[in-house]
Amino acid sequence: MEPVFLTKLVSHNNDWLSVRQATIAENIANANTPGFRAKDLEPFTSVVSKTQLAMTATHDTHLGQMMEVSRSSDVEKADSWTVSHSGNSVSLEQEMVKAGEVARDHALNASIAKSFHRMYLAAVKP
Amino acid sequence: MSDPLAATLQISGSGLRAQSERLRVVSENLANARSTGETSGDDPYRRKTITFESEFNRATQANLVSVKGVGADKAPFTVEYDPGHPAADENGYVKMPNVNTLLELADMRETNRSYEANLKVMTQAREMVMRHIDLLRN
Repeated sequence: MEPVFLTKLVSHNNDWLSVRQATIAENIANANTPGFRAKDLEPFTSVVSKTQLAMTATHDTHLGQMMEVSRSSDVEKADSWTVSHSGNSVSLEQEMVKAGEVARDHALNASIAKSFHRMYLAAVKP
Repeated sequence: MSDPLAATLQISGSGLRAQSERLRVVSENLANARSTGETSGDDPYRRKTITFESEFNRATQANLVSVKGVGADKAPFTVEYDPGHPAADENGYVKMPNVNTLLELADMRETNRSYEANLKVMTQAREMVMRHIDLLRN
């Protein structure tokens, strides 16, 4: 039995979201750099299905390498909204939409973690 | 690798720096839109251009943006007929800077938009960090 399994997916998703936020920041910072191609991460579902297979450790207490896995999964974005004359494929509007998604999911994760925490406390409290 | 949220702040910071440098060049061009030469036949102010490049930063493992260089616009100068001007040539024509005010204003608006976007991402990253801290607060 693994007692912290409930919060594991939440924290894994939060890792993924913060890496995505960094990628969005990179795209927006380079919004006026000639020739820069917009990047995005693999969807979380495909990352999860991959890392669950890869997450083998020789010892139960070894930590998984979540961050590295999601970091290396930068993919070229093929379906960008705009490509400018200078070969830059960053669309600020699209990046704002993505940033909104990240903020929403992150708030959801935070409240899920909070309610799990309340559940733990309710079980522990006499 | 470093924390992605800390990296976000650095990446957005580099974007803010690059865009404010761009605004500086725009303001320089606008301020000198009518700066002519001193003596007859002198070249007037030449419009400056700015280019960005993305450079890989090892500490953050991400592509930060930096100013590649400030160059000079090679477009030809316009001429105006003004025989009384100190910089007028023998035919009475004065060379005017190759600055197009409309173009500079458009550039300024775009700079503003990019700056705002960078700032928004920075604010959001900070909110995400604060949300984590709030979890501990309870």
